[in-house]
Parts: sequence; structure tokens; C-alpha cells
Amino acid sequence: MENAPLFSVKVTVNGQLFEREVEPRLLLSDFLRHELALTGTHVGCEHGVCGACTVLLNGEAVRSCLIFAVQAHGQEIVTVEGLTPDGGREALHPLQEAFREAHGLQCGFCTPGILMTLIPFLQEHPQPSEGEIREALSGNLCRCTGYHNIVKAVQLAAETLRHG
Amino acid sequence: MSHYDATHHTRGTSRYVGDLPEPEGLCHAAIVPSPLAHGKLVRLDSAAALALPEVIAVITAGDIPGENQIGPLIQDEELLASETVHFSGQPLAIVVAETPELARRAAGMIRPEIVLLPIITDPREAFDRGEIIGATRQFVLGNVESAWAACDVVVEGRCDIGGQEHVYLETQGARALPGEGDAIKLYSSTQSPYVVQRSVAKVLGVPYHLIEVDVKRIGGGFGGKEDQATPWACLAALACRLTGRPVELILSRHDDLLMTGKRHAYSSDFKIGLDKTGKILAYAVRHYQNAGASADLSPAILERTLFHSTNAYYIPNVHIFAASCRTNIPPATAFRGFGGPQGMFVIESAIAKAAEALGIPREEIQRRNLIREGQEFPYGQQAERARAEATWEKADALYDLAAIHRKIEQYNRDHYETKKGLAVMPICFGISFTATFMNQGSALVHIYTDGSVSISTGAVEMGQGISSKLANITARTLGIGESRIKVESTNTTRIANMSPSAASATTDLCGGAAIRACEEILARLRRLAARELQLGDETAITIENEQVRYQGQATGWSWRKLVETAYFSRISLSAHAFYATPNIYFDKQKEKGRPFNYHVYGTAILEATVDCLRGTYDIDAVKIVHDLGRPLNAVVDLGQIEGGLAQGLGWMTVEDLQFDHTGKLLAGALANYKLPEVYFMPEDLQVNFLENDDNPNAPYGSKAVGEPPLLYGLGVFFALRNAARAFRPGKTLSFHAPMTPERLLLELYGDQMPPDERQSAEGNGKTRQPFPDTSTKEKA
Repeated sequence: MENAPLFSVKVTVNGQLFEREVEPRLLLSDFLRHELALTGTHVGCEHGVCGACTVLLNGEAVRSCLIFAVQAHGQEIVTVEGLTPDGGREALHPLQEAFREAHGLQCGFCTPGILMTLIPFLQEHPQPSEGEIREALSGNLCRCTGYHNIVKAVQLAAETLRHG
Repeated sequence: MSHYDATHHTRGTSRYVGDLPEPEGLCHAAIVPSPLAHGKLVRLDSAAALALPEVIAVITAGDIPGENQIGPLIQDEELLASETVHFSGQPLAIVVAETPELARRAAGMIRPEIVLLPIITDPREAFDRGEIIGATRQFVLGNVESAWAACDVVVEGRCDIGGQEHVYLETQGARALPGEGDAIKLYSSTQSPYVVQRSVAKVLGVPYHLIEVDVKRIGGGFGGKEDQATPWACLAALACRLTGRPVELILSRHDDLLMTGKRHAYSSDFKIGLDKTGKILAYAVRHYQNAGASADLSPAILERTLFHSTNAYYIPNVHIFAASCRTNIPPATAFRGFGGPQGMFVIESAIAKAAEALGIPREEIQRRNLIREGQEFPYGQQAERARAEATWEKADALYDLAAIHRKIEQYNRDHYETKKGLAVMPICFGISFTATFMNQGSALVHIYTDGSVSISTGAVEMGQGISSKLANITARTLGIGESRIKVESTNTTRIANMSPSAASATTDLCGGAAIRACEEILARLRRLAARELQLGDETAITIENEQVRYQGQATGWSWRKLVETAYFSRISLSAHAFYATPNIYFDKQKEKGRPFNYHVYGTAILEATVDCLRGTYDIDAVKIVHDLGRPLNAVVDLGQIEGGLAQGLGWMTVEDLQFDHTGKLLAGALANYKLPEVYFMPEDLQVNFLENDDNPNAPYGSKAVGEPPLLYGLGVFFALRNAARAFRPGKTLSFHAPMTPERLLLELYGDQMPPDERQSAEGNGKTRQPFPDTSTKEKA
């Protein structure tokens, strides 16, 4: 097999600049998980259906399994690890806290992708209706919970974020 | 009380197999699957794959140092096919390479040469050809043959029930690390670390103690990783042994869908007889289980179908026949409910058909026949603390069945193209592994000198919240705060010979063992405190809120002081304890016994609205009264109920798992296997617990919660069917699940299709006389 030429990728992830030489076909999800050891971004379906790999690209929620690492060159990524930037010793982000409080998770595999989907959503919809919450989550699959507690967790998070 | 792992889950710091830090030299494996569902494997040319740089090895059946055999119940399943392939997707070889991408690419270059053999995908056809796994089974109560004559109405029918893909979001996977000599340590995404351990040992030809299996948590299991996590762990271990390097094998979603077994599809015939008041006098059923290509757990799953074939009803004359039929699809396996749901679907269908014949609502028959205290299940066990009627009555009182009926009738009078349907779904599920010997659990508790506690058990955390429950049980038994408890990974060097985390029984077994381990240490600590504090009656010493009390009064000693004193007094602060469920047995010769420790009951009322022009529908409401004893953690239990319900509803409606006649899976990606998503669940979901006396048979009066809630989902099929009946009252409707929108349209309009299209849409099932000896009479 011929080795594909390597491309240099410079990308800011969770506020830190990383530079790596990567194959052009390397997915952003694999880049984050294997090059940067940010394994909170999970891969569930590998083709954009389940939403487990959702991260923020310049503030927008995207599926990192549908983006090549080279496409993120020069841009800014936030992963679930970036929600509590000190590596987990500080208090949880209100959204994380709400999922804990409302039991909006079970096996936890879909949780990071759901949280990252919701970060920009809650910025744009500080007072979301239940319908808006469901629409926001319509691209994320959870096999454990039946979604009720996830919706409740978002409502709780929105309330906390509104009241500081 | 939140989930034990909630903080890590939300931070993204929970580690699953693929998230573990990569060891030096980690290489990756990929599988070469069989492209055909049945055939003779003539040749497997791996030269091209091996010629690739950075491909380390291609491993085939001949390379296995031990036994090429992983069948858990019957030795009929090779790890890698040697001579014959039995299903499309069956592993033929594995490629080990420096990266997962390369391993997959190289695997794709290996072209097996297979001579095709006849393919069977239909369980009835397999049965007719004698392709039966294990023995056929029959449960008999009373005498159906003499009972038919006394019936005012007797109806027969057929059910065809689809399978279901587990879709645990974390795909199957394992990582194997070489140890000293022949020792191997495995991280496996399994519900069954001991089964992985013993299977790996067998495949490698080494004693069990050389194989260590560790499971921190898994990203969903639902039964799909009870037995079928084993091959991937065995293959990773095999590659590790042969290459001497750490090996990771994580299935891509496509491979996982293609290669792993699912919930069993069933085809069943029923015959039910009632008197004119709706009392069921006799019920006969023949179940043909589509087991797939090897036994896997199918005989055990078949057994639970037999156990649950009369659901929550008492029927005096019952004849249940069941056969596990070998076909050329992936070996079907455990899935939440374990064969019970299929058995229950058939009796619910029989009741629906009987109600139509009698011209009375289905729920009148259901209500009239609910099992009562002391009545006998077809397997000889009597109902104890029967709560079928209590959950029904409470559901009726809370949700007002008559009012829902009136509302739906009014709606259906007022609307033409949309119709609503109602169904009640009572459930009864037996708790215990039906293989009696598996009802054992162990726990290892260490108390450290700072007062913190470590607990290991055989329980695997898969989201169900077992860690939360174990932390709660341990803290409660010791009288200390939950923050002091650390629930450890599940590891075969700490807990030996563990049963899988399955059968809803993990809290009962491992929690029961945890209580005993804590009590053993507490007994030592009480003796010590009595001596040191000169207290006469050591049984009057308690620990509450981390304070040592005597006859309810403070002694001035804290938990920490007690533990430190024990250490300096050379008293062991560790205990290993064992729990075996008492008073359960089953005689397979007589097919009678007391297989279950207790039963879980409940009643759900389901409402749905069908667009009868388009076949689309909404599940409007599911209202449940669930029997939970005294919940250990109501939040976790409610999560199990909602999640189980979602899976049951999905199975009956949108989850359409199909294989074509060549045994090829038609849904090889999540894009074409529909799962319940966030819009799917009913807007009106109400769950109330039946508050009841302590269940003396499980920790702190709790009851198992994992599987039973899935069964409520069956009700949606009958709610949709009733809506369809309201649209076309005279139309004969089938019992063919799932009721996808396509199927619903076919039910409504299939008789208006040209005959040839109808046949291809409905399948050309052979007509047969399933109960040939007696005639069927239909009179209302």
C-alpha cells in the first residue's frame, strides 16, 4: 500500500494549539481520540447518525466522524473535556451538573455528544420550549434512557444558566 | 441519588475499552467475514494481505493453539470457521496490523473461496428439515385436549415476531495485553467476564488463572454482550498470544451489525379456548424460535419463552411446545427479556383474537384471567405475593380506563382518517436465572484505615446503575456515607466464576453478597467495640451516620476510630462473601419446579393514534403501575423503566430487522436500522410504583428492574391494531410484528393489492394445520 502524503494540521482544541502531521483521510474523531488522547469524544456509528462524536467547530456543533482532521486546520475545536478546562478538578459546567442531577444518562456513551450538541443550542435558546429541545436532540441517539430525563436535564440546565 | 458514574460520564472521563491509554506497541485486528450464509470453505488466500507493509499476521482456524470452540451451552460454534460457514458475517480469519485502518483494508483483500450450500432462514422450514438445536420442550398443565370441548369459543392463529438489534452505542471490543509467560490480561466490553475468561483459556489451551479479565463499564449491553462479547475477546487474545504484542479489536458498527446475533425472531401458532364470560379454559401454543446458526444461549432463551407463555394469567389447561430452530443467520442471543417477550406476545395475540370472536374488549379477558395468589404457573410454581390484580386495579384507579375508552370512542366517531387505539398490557416476569446454578454472586469488601471502602463484585456496570446500587447497599449496611464507597471494576482475579450481569438479577445476587460481606466485617467490629468500650450486649451496637451507638445512644466512637482500632487490634477489615438464591429448583425431566425467586408484576395502559391513510402513527400515552417492592434507588429504577419501555416500543414498531432469503442482513448501518429517537416516546408518560410490602427475597425489600419494563412495550402493537380495527372493523388483521408504518398500511389495504404483489409483500408462508387433532370452532 502506498502511504498517503502527510499534511500538517494546526488546530486549537479546548484552548490549546496542537500541530500534527496526519493522513488526509484521518477523521477528526480519530484525530481527537488517537492523536490528542481526548477520548471523551465517542464514536458510535461512524457515519453521522448517532451524534456520539459531536464536538464544537468554531462554536458550532458538528459530527467529528464526518469531518477530516485536515478540514479543521486553523480552526477552533471544543470537546467535552473542554467544558471543565482544568481536566476535571473544578466544578461541573451547569449543563453537566443538570445531566447528573436529572439522571439524564445511563451507560454514558452518548452523553458527551449530547452535551456538545446542547452547548450552542442553549446559547441560542436560553428559554427553550420542550419542542425546541427535542428538535435540537433529534440527531442524537440514546439507547438507554428513553430520552425523558435527557429532556428534563436540558430544561434544568437552561434554568440554571438563565439564573446564573 | 445520581448515577455513580455521572460525573465521569458528563466530563467525558469515563473510560470504555477503546478509551484506555494505548500501551507501547499496540496493534489492531480486523475480521474477515464470510460473504455467504452457508457453504464449504475451500480456500482462504491471504498472500496479498500479508504482502502489505505493517500487516503483522493473518490468523486462521489452524493457528488456534487450544480448542476452536466457543459455544457456551452446546459445543457447536467455532471461533474461526475451519471447514464450513454457517452465516453471512461469520469470522473466517483475523488480520493484525499496525493501525485499525490498515487491518481493515488488509482484511478486505482476503477473498475466501466458498462452495455454496442450501440456505435456510425460516425457522419453520428448519424445523421441518430437522434442524433443531437441543431438545424440543413442552410444558403441560391440566389437559387441553379434554378442555376444548367445554369451551364456548376456540380460535387459532399465527404470530410472526421480528428480531431486534441491540445497538449498544459502544460496539463490541476487547484489548489483550501480554503478561509473563502465557498470561494475558484482557479489557473486554462484556457482561460476562467469567465467560470471556474461560473461553479465552479454552481457545489458548491454558488454565483459567492465566487469563485475567477486567471490565470497568460497558457502553450498553442489553444482553448483546452477555455471550457475544466472547468471540472478540478470544480473537484479541489469540492475536496477542501469536504476535506477542498488545492487540485491540474493536468492531466497526458495520461489522458489529453484520457479525453479532440479535433478539430471536419467532413464528408461533396458538389456539385458545374460553367460556362465554371470557374465562380462558385452555391454551395451546407452538413456538418456532429462529436461533440462527449455532446454539449460543438459544436453548436457555427458549426455556424462558416457555416460562412466560401465559404472561400474567392463570390458565388451567396449557400445552406449550417450543423448538429452537437452526438457520443460516447470525446466532441469535440474549436481549432484555430473554425469550419472555416473544412468549407473552403470542398469548396477548391469542387474547386479542378471542376478544374479537367473543365481541368483547380485549381487556375484559385480560382482567378476568389475571393470576391470583396460590394459582399455578404451567411450570408448577405457585404465585406468591401475586400483584397482577393489584397493579391493574391501581392503574385503573389512577388513570381511569373507562374514561380513556370513552375518550377514544368519541375521537374515533369524530375522525375519519385518523383513529385512536387503546391497549392494556399486564406483565409478569420471573426473577432468577432459569439455570438454577447461575444464581450465585460474590462480593469482596475492603475497609481501609482511613474509613474508606472498596467493593468488588461480579456485577458489570452497563448503565443500569448497578454501581449506584452497590454503593448504596454497602453504605447502608455499614452505616456510613456513600462518598466513602468506591465501586471497583469487575475483575476475575478479585471475583471468581461470576455469573453474567443478566436476568435482571445482578442487584439481588451481587447486592446480596455485598450485604453479607459487610455484615461479616461488622460482626468483627461489634465484638471489638463491645470489648474495648466494655459494652455487655454486642448485638445492641449499631453504626448510624458513621457513629457507633449502643442501645441507640452515642458511644463517642466514630467510624474512623472504630476502623483504626480494629487495624491496631489486628482484626481483618476485609471480607469475601457469597450469596446463593435459596429455595429455587427446576426438574427438567418433569418440567416442573420453583425456578423463580419471585415475580415482578405491572400494568400499563397505552394509547396510540394512527393516520390510516399514511400508516404513520404517534404513541400518545403510556401509563404504568409497576411493582418494585421498596426501590433501592427510585431515580435509577425509573430510568430503567423508561429505557426498557423505549426498547419494547421500538421492537414492536420501528425496529425492522430483516434478513433476505440468502441470509444477508438488510440493515448494515444505523442509517437503515431505525431506532427510537427523541420524538418517538409518548408525550404523556406516567410511571407510578405499586407500593407494597417488602420483598423478602432481595436486598432491602427491593425488586429487580432491568427486563420487566420492556414488556410494557408489547402493548403498543395492540393499541395500533385496535386503531386499525376502528378504521376497518371487518378486516382480518395479522399478528405480525413489528407494526411498521408499511406493515400497518399492508394490514389495512393488503386485501386491495393485486394477488401477486400481496403474496410477495406478505410472504408465502405455507398453510399448515398446527393443531391437527381437533377442530376449531368460532361462535361468539
